[in-house]
Amino acid sequence: MLVAENLHKTYRRHAVRVPVLNGLNLEVKAGEFLSVVGASGSGKSTLLHLLGTLDAPDAGRVLLDGRRVDDLPGRERDALRNRTFGYIFQFYHLLPELNVLDNVLMPAYIGHSVVGWWKSRSRWRARALELLRKVGLTHRLAHRPRELSGGEMQRAAVARALLTNPRVLLADEPTGNLDAGTGGEIVRLLRDLNREDGVTIVMVTHNLEIVSATDRVVRMVGGVVTEDTPATPRPFPHPRLAAV
Amino acid sequence: MYKLLLCLRYLRTRYLAFICIVSVMLGVATLIVVNAVMSGFSTKLKDRLHGVLSDVVVDTDRPDGFVECDADGYPVPQRDEHGRVVFGPDGNPVPVPLSPEKAIERILASPAGPRIAAVTPTIESFAVLQFQFRGQTLTKPVRLIGVDPKGRAAVGGFSEYLVRQAGAEAPSFDLTTDALDRHDWNRHRAARSRVTEVPDFPPPKKLPPLPGFPDLPAPAPPVADLLAPPPPDQAAMNAQMPDARPAGVILGYTIAHFRYKDASGQVVEERALQPGDGVTVFAPGGEAGGMRPVWGSFLVTDYLKTEMSEYDQSFVYVPLEDLQRVRTMQGRCTAFQLRLKDYDRDKAFVTDQLRALFHPRSGAQVATWEERQGSLLAAIDVEKGILNLLLFLIVGVAGFSILAIFTMIVSEKYRDIGVMKSLGASSSGVMSIFVGYGLLLGAVGCALGTGLGLAITDNINGIERFLTEATGKAVFPRDVYYFKEIPTNVEPLRVLFVNLGAVGIAVVFSLLPAWRAARLHPVRALRFE
Repeated sequence: MLVAENLHKTYRRHAVRVPVLNGLNLEVKAGEFLSVVGASGSGKSTLLHLLGTLDAPDAGRVLLDGRRVDDLPGRERDALRNRTFGYIFQFYHLLPELNVLDNVLMPAYIGHSVVGWWKSRSRWRARALELLRKVGLTHRLAHRPRELSGGEMQRAAVARALLTNPRVLLADEPTGNLDAGTGGEIVRLLRDLNREDGVTIVMVTHNLEIVSATDRVVRMVGGVVTEDTPATPRPFPHPRLAAV
Repeated sequence: MYKLLLCLRYLRTRYLAFICIVSVMLGVATLIVVNAVMSGFSTKLKDRLHGVLSDVVVDTDRPDGFVECDADGYPVPQRDEHGRVVFGPDGNPVPVPLSPEKAIERILASPAGPRIAAVTPTIESFAVLQFQFRGQTLTKPVRLIGVDPKGRAAVGGFSEYLVRQAGAEAPSFDLTTDALDRHDWNRHRAARSRVTEVPDFPPPKKLPPLPGFPDLPAPAPPVADLLAPPPPDQAAMNAQMPDARPAGVILGYTIAHFRYKDASGQVVEERALQPGDGVTVFAPGGEAGGMRPVWGSFLVTDYLKTEMSEYDQSFVYVPLEDLQRVRTMQGRCTAFQLRLKDYDRDKAFVTDQLRALFHPRSGAQVATWEERQGSLLAAIDVEKGILNLLLFLIVGVAGFSILAIFTMIVSEKYRDIGVMKSLGASSSGVMSIFVGYGLLLGAVGCALGTGLGLAITDNINGIERFLTEATGKAVFPRDVYYFKEIPTNVEPLRVLFVNLGAVGIAVVFSLLPAWRAARLHPVRALRFE
């Protein structure tokens, strides 16, 4: 479904070239929960940005359902990010001025004009409330992000990413800033979404203990995929995580 | 939708924005107040400048008044019974005078006639006014104007400024009984002072009796005849005597009143010339080709108070026929004052027509009141323009504060911009958030500034009084301006322009930060710590 072909990406910082991806190839199947692991600087996040059209590769292609998406005009890539991809970040990235409900509704606000929003607002509101119920935040609707705990903020971010029913969820170290217990909750939430709603998920992490919840693990070293294995079925949550 | 939401949310939650709003507000309020006061001053000044000037004035530089001209504008010379040209004392031919009646007839018969509401002849001349004040003789240079009071009142800008006969439809130079009494008292006092000045002559020597005439005893002093009628009242008698009726004069208010500051700094106004007091006017005579000083005596009957110092300190009105007599120019005049039915519509047409009637070669000029005060009116406009330009720099400063604060807000919002882009916001969308934010700040600042400006304008006299009391120094010295209150005039169109300009500046100065925000690469923005 989502295919990366021979991706190259080099960052330039003060005239120093930092190659990040060196001919990476990857295929994500529909309905798959894929985790990408690797050391810091191995290019995991860059891969995620390229897959989600947030950034363009220097060489190579990104295909969604066989259609090349990395070189689409800006407007179409914006629409793709708005409807087809959902992002979850390590630092949640909720907008501090908005309450939880408005944050979750943000993709709908972005996708609609004032009039369009006015016409469809009740539908979106119902959808947001349903998602917030699913992530267990119905009691936090009017709260600002700063009044929430890390786990709650990440759950709100998950709800935001899911609002427009994206086909692919791109999670960049979603547990990286959470304690083990809360992180486990988030991963369990993602796994449930994958299993029950069939959302394709690509999760970048360097926490090897949470990858057991995923279907497949891709290991990256030096900007290429070095290992592509089905995840070791382990009881989840991991006994050590459960103990925390 | 998100643009609107975020604009409004940023407006409510960013306290930095408050600074932008306040700076725009102060700029707009200042502009509105200054414009209102400037416009008030200029409107009031224009009213006053127009004041005693009629809409259109035709006047001549010839001291002997208008003359008949040929088609080329040259004066037609007088001829004696033998057909010879009559020459004046200066050796130039004496022209045929043009009587006011004939001139008015021609004016009204011209195409401009139907557009003229009223016309009256006047004589205008420079003169020196002399009067007695506390035992001294004082002189003042004045502008002496001979008018027919009824005709002059019909042209406008005359009777409404008179102190005693304010707004009278048919003002006159007649003296009131009080004025006549005062005149009488003055005369008696002068006579008394003259008597006391007479030196004591030695008593007449008793002459020796003439031979043949008996030396009669001195006659007995007369016994008061109690039955005789009382002597008639002198003032009443004077008033009844046609020739003894002195001509009245209407003086500019400042000529007859002295204003000065007393020891405590208070402005004191002292009346130097009461109604009934006599003044003497020296003016050039009105003969062709000769310059001969003439003078006449007049009694103060009224004052002209236009509150325009230039007029109040120089205008002296006397009856037209008296001035004609004094200047020996009976049946002639030096100017015509016209009132038009619709000044703004007809001024160009009427002046053109009149210029065809009164050729400049004969010394005549036709001018509207605006042309006469052109330099002053132009100065007001220039002053207003420059002041506006300078004041707009205030809004410019507000614009720079918007630029600075927006740059700060954009750097603060780097990560949020990345998030919005990752959620599908376009670059133009991000840009319009910040441009819209600038617009919103400008609009809110303008709305508050307009409110504040109008409130200050409305209460400017109260504020001025408060400031004067608080600082002990007059902010608006009334004796300088002759205005009782600070005049204000809010022009809605100008307020609109100020608002549009301020909003425009707010938007323009938010463009650069907004563009920077839009250009921000989402990945870099997300990584921003």
